[in-house]
Amino acid sequence: MMAQFFGIGWQNVLDIALNTYILFRLYVLFRGTNVLRVLLAMGALLVFRQVAFAMGLIITSWVMQGVIAVAALVIIVVFRNEISLVLKTRDLKSFFWGIPRQQLKTPVGIIVESVYELARKKIGALIVLPLSKGMESVVQEGIPWHGKLSKEMLISIFWPDNPVHDGAVVIQGNQITDVGVILPLSKRTDLPSRFGTRHRAAVGLAEQTDALIIVVSEERGTITLVRNRQIYDINDSRVLEKLLIQHAGGDTSTGDIKKRTRDLAIAATVCLVCVTGLWISFSRGVETLATQDVPIEFVKSDQNMEVFSSSASSVRLLVSGSRPLIRALGPERINVKLNLANTTAGETSLSVGRNAVSLPPGISVKSIEPSMIHVFLDVPLKKEIPVQAFWAGRLSPDLMMTQVAITPKKIIVVGPSQVLEDINTLFTEPISLDGIAESGKITAGIAFTPPTIRPEDPKKSEVQLEYTVRKRNTTDS
Amino acid sequence: MDKIPKMKTSIGICGVFLVCLLSAAAGVPPGWAQDTDVEIESVYNPPVLVQAEMCESIERFQPVNPAVVFSISLGRVYCFTSFDPVFEETVMFHRWFRKDLLISNARLVLNPPKWASFSSMQLRPVDKGPWRVEIVDSRDNLIKTLRFSISD
Repeated sequence: MMAQFFGIGWQNVLDIALNTYILFRLYVLFRGTNVLRVLLAMGALLVFRQVAFAMGLIITSWVMQGVIAVAALVIIVVFRNEISLVLKTRDLKSFFWGIPRQQLKTPVGIIVESVYELARKKIGALIVLPLSKGMESVVQEGIPWHGKLSKEMLISIFWPDNPVHDGAVVIQGNQITDVGVILPLSKRTDLPSRFGTRHRAAVGLAEQTDALIIVVSEERGTITLVRNRQIYDINDSRVLEKLLIQHAGGDTSTGDIKKRTRDLAIAATVCLVCVTGLWISFSRGVETLATQDVPIEFVKSDQNMEVFSSSASSVRLLVSGSRPLIRALGPERINVKLNLANTTAGETSLSVGRNAVSLPPGISVKSIEPSMIHVFLDVPLKKEIPVQAFWAGRLSPDLMMTQVAITPKKIIVVGPSQVLEDINTLFTEPISLDGIAESGKITAGIAFTPPTIRPEDPKKSEVQLEYTVRKRNTTDS
Repeated sequence: MDKIPKMKTSIGICGVFLVCLLSAAAGVPPGWAQDTDVEIESVYNPPVLVQAEMCESIERFQPVNPAVVFSISLGRVYCFTSFDPVFEETVMFHRWFRKDLLISNARLVLNPPKWASFSSMQLRPVDKGPWRVEIVDSRDNLIKTLRFSISD
């Protein structure tokens, strides 16, 4: 109903809804990862290409098209791990519907205790808690561990004599998955001077992923938490615990749920806007022309009056609009109405203006052909008119046609009163005399001219003629 | 066979009258004229059409080769009408129509007791097609319509 109101078909609504959902799911599955950023960059390239195309920058749009195609391949190759993580680690329900929450099973208490123990003992530590984004493309793989997380285990890993104590530990859920992982260093220059390599590595990873990184300073025994581009100096275990719970998605406070719901709603809205914009750019950007032959509808104010003739019964409209709208444009959705309110009996010229054409929204009229219609209006009358034979050709010189009987002799015709006034005889179509050698019968059609007149009974448009011919006497001249 | 000579004008109107003096003189009682005069003022007695023909020519006051199709090569076509009785001197009209277009209106004078008269039409190449002649009295009453065609 709404779709019809706005002049777009249900297919278009479904098209937009489906692609909005796909985009939203991509956002949900890849949020916080580099894949999403690259996808956004590709979207920007696509927009740029459309703009270039619209401006007539052929080569630019062609190059952009190539870049987008290559970028799509690059995404698949470079982010294969993230993509495979999304595809492998979730079941179908979570893939198509669920909102992923990582780290729910993370034993936050163990981590907090371990971190404080490490700090107390001034044992340097670097603990990574990834979220949704894969880190494979930004870190140098360490040593797979896959050990159950425990306070003792963590402390022993970072124990100074341990061969892997310099690298980072990756914790996923309740498992230590990797140890001795080398993180990328940040190149930021605004970091505090007290920050050593561990801190710089933590910031570097946070810049590129959505992971949470805990750093324990070996020199001062301080605890620093890095997430996104924010750096927290932790002085209270409760603060650390709260931040870890938040990161693990376990904060189920009303405010947090509301915030998450709002974020998702905003994301969904943005997806809808983007897809709608894309649809509009595709549909409206590509202007399509089409011609439609539309019958003219005469709107009478005087019901007794009748249009007896019109120079055209339909007009040819050149309409323009988006391809989907043009495709969905059926003849029933176009009307051409000519108002006869101010006309009188007789011949009248009516201009077929754009206001006479009603079209669905989004479609405009480029031209109307013909732009002027000549109509003949009058009050219809009936009249009984005799029929006369119209003989043509050449009768044999030795013959004479002496009599013709026509059946029926008269025909009731309907037509405009002004026209019928002047018509006193109906004539048959020309009947050839050539070849007539003797008396006979013939059926002939009646020529209803002008075309504004017609027989009352459409079946009575013919007459039968019985003619008599005789030989011309030799004494006849 | 002698023909009536063709007229120079496109509309040739001739009056041919056949007066039967004997019947006129003997058949009318002395008082009839007076009665008729009284009735003339109140009642219109139209002449009675007894013969109406389209024909190729007129000979001896009779139509020759009456027909409904005439060749243009004839050059002229005639409309012959005969009235009997004619109660008084009056006029009659032969209205010639090509298709539905009035071409000529010939005024013919009729005299009692009976009268025959004709009108004719000079034919031109453009005159091919259906024609009709309406025989109309002085009061514009249509008495008869003769329909015919002019062919090649």
